[in-house]
Amino acid sequence: MMRGAVAIFRRDMKKFISNPFVILMTLFIPIFYLVIFGNAMGGTITGIHIAVVQAEPYTIETPLFTQATGALREFRSAPDKPPTFQVTVFPDEERAKQALADGRTSGAVIFPSDIEKGGAVRVYEDSSDYMVPAIMEGGVTAAVASTGAQNPVEFNRVYGKIEYFQFFGVGVIVMAIFMTTMMGGAFALIRDREQGIIEGYLVTPVKRSSIILGIIGSGTVRAFLAGFIIFIVDIVIAGIVVRTTEQFLLVLLVLFVSSIGVTALVVSVASRFNTQQEYASTVAFFNLMLFMTSGAFYPVQGMPDWLQWITVINPEYYTVHALRSILIRGQGMEVIGTDLIALVIFSVAAIILGITTYKRTIE
Amino acid sequence: MGEEEIIRLEHLTKVFRNKETVTAVDDVSFTVRKGEIFGLLGPNGAGKSTLIRILTTLLMPTSGTATVGSCDVTGDPEGVRSIIGVCPQNSTLDLELTAYDNLDFYGRLLNVEEGILAGRIGELLEVAGLSDRANSRVSTFSGGMRRKLEIVRAFLHRPLILFLDEPTIGLDPDSRFEVWQQIARLNAEETTIILTTHYMEEAERLCTRIAFMDKGRLIALDTPENHKRALPAGDLIDIGLGRMDERAVAAVRESGLVTSLEVKESSIRIHARNGSSVLPAIIRIFERFSIPMTSISIHSPSIEDVFIYLTGRKLDSGNGEPAAPQKGRGRRP
Repeated sequence: MMRGAVAIFRRDMKKFISNPFVILMTLFIPIFYLVIFGNAMGGTITGIHIAVVQAEPYTIETPLFTQATGALREFRSAPDKPPTFQVTVFPDEERAKQALADGRTSGAVIFPSDIEKGGAVRVYEDSSDYMVPAIMEGGVTAAVASTGAQNPVEFNRVYGKIEYFQFFGVGVIVMAIFMTTMMGGAFALIRDREQGIIEGYLVTPVKRSSIILGIIGSGTVRAFLAGFIIFIVDIVIAGIVVRTTEQFLLVLLVLFVSSIGVTALVVSVASRFNTQQEYASTVAFFNLMLFMTSGAFYPVQGMPDWLQWITVINPEYYTVHALRSILIRGQGMEVIGTDLIALVIFSVAAIILGITTYKRTIE
Repeated sequence: MGEEEIIRLEHLTKVFRNKETVTAVDDVSFTVRKGEIFGLLGPNGAGKSTLIRILTTLLMPTSGTATVGSCDVTGDPEGVRSIIGVCPQNSTLDLELTAYDNLDFYGRLLNVEEGILAGRIGELLEVAGLSDRANSRVSTFSGGMRRKLEIVRAFLHRPLILFLDEPTIGLDPDSRFEVWQQIARLNAEETTIILTTHYMEEAERLCTRIAFMDKGRLIALDTPENHKRALPAGDLIDIGLGRMDERAVAAVRESGLVTSLEVKESSIRIHARNGSSVLPAIIRIFERFSIPMTSISIHSPSIEDVFIYLTGRKLDSGNGEPAAPQKGRGRRP
């Protein structure tokens, strides 16, 4: 019995040692988990965009406004951290609220006019972001208190109370798209290569662009269906509300464009690999990195700067942003247009990369 | 390129550089004529499959040129792909699809016209004897059925040139015979066929001309008859002897009937041109010395004998390098 066990052990060890790439990736993934999870989850949220306005009728700047705005600018979660808020003074309440509605700021603080000095300080918060409202409430309360003023502070969550379940539910749609893509089109490409089936069709006149587009096409349909199913699950169990047909169609559009983008990315990565092992370890790494930095379950503002940069080139970030804009904030094309453009640019780049890197020979 | 020629190789070389450098194809030049069945024969690792993979645009040659039809394999691989049909050594059928779907998939990749595709598939399934299994998954097929399906698949678009890499490897004699018939039928439709094999019987039976390859080199190329005629030794006669007698052996050697003579423990092996007509005279010599003969066998040289003569090794001894040493590339059994 032992001899057989030792033989199996030796065989597996030999295979393990003979593939340095997979060893490297398997070590890389936990290290990356450490770095990303450690930084993303434990990080301090800083640089929250906030608008401050002194209400009409405006005659002169009140001391409350000046002092509280100054205090907000200097507010930090700990002495050695950067300021929590990035404060912008707006000329009027209307524009401040518009900026909030467009998602340019996460909150608006309306200080009372100088003719009603004891009036309430009204705070409007983007409650679609899970962590931000609580931080903002703490910050504004502290800033007003620091001036010694007795004005009451009123908090208005503009999108109502959003449960974490809803916040996260939207993010999970993206995960469904990615997981399906991982097991879908690109996987078929690798299997064909690994099993040698590819030798059969590489000798036909089929173009490599046809191979890549075909694979991306089938992968997109699968990813879209998966995303759609999770979207329905979100409606049924996570309490996501779709208010209009237009919203519903916009969600489908975002799901579709995202499916193309993510599938094209994975296929373009897969087009260079020969074995499932190499592919699986690399894609697991991508999955982690893209999902973690997508903002799906933790706000991007809480991440260190270098990680925030990854979000700029992360298609999943745009998907999550677009879906939250539609489903939680009730915004439309005017806000998600940028996300869609980013996704389209990304998809086209990934498709071109996939086609140009695809190996037309078997070497 | 002459009118008759359809493939021309000039100083084709392929070197694989991995942990160790392997010259799989070493300065090979030859031409293939239109309409012939051209056999590439050699032991495992002789470079046959690598050569086929270069000619079918799957591998790039390290140096030298190859022209298939009127297209250069490196300069115009698309042109090559549109006129060839390939049946690779390892099965490339999709086991999860049915026989019909496998052919349908390739029909579309090979640009077979939509209107005639279904008819063509039916025709080829008939040729392969698989009409009644058209809608079964290929995973349920026997090795012979899969092979036949794969060969007709390569013929879907009526290619000018058909490459068959070890078409009968691992098949039982019945299936092998059926595959041979199929190949002959396809050749009758004026398709040029390039066939690799390490079964000499197969090469002898099917091929118009045979190229011998060994260790990446082309060592001889001719018709089967000329190959055999080129053997200096002629026919082979083995005679088992009850006892060995030096005088009798010397008498045979000096008789002028034989070209060479080898003494073994209890038998002698004689090479003689025209063996069947000199055999009675040889037998008379042994009778004269009253040496009992326990067995007599005579056989004409086979293609395998030609190979042994050329290389000093048996054809299927399989002591070569792998056809394409590639790290991390799995193979189907």
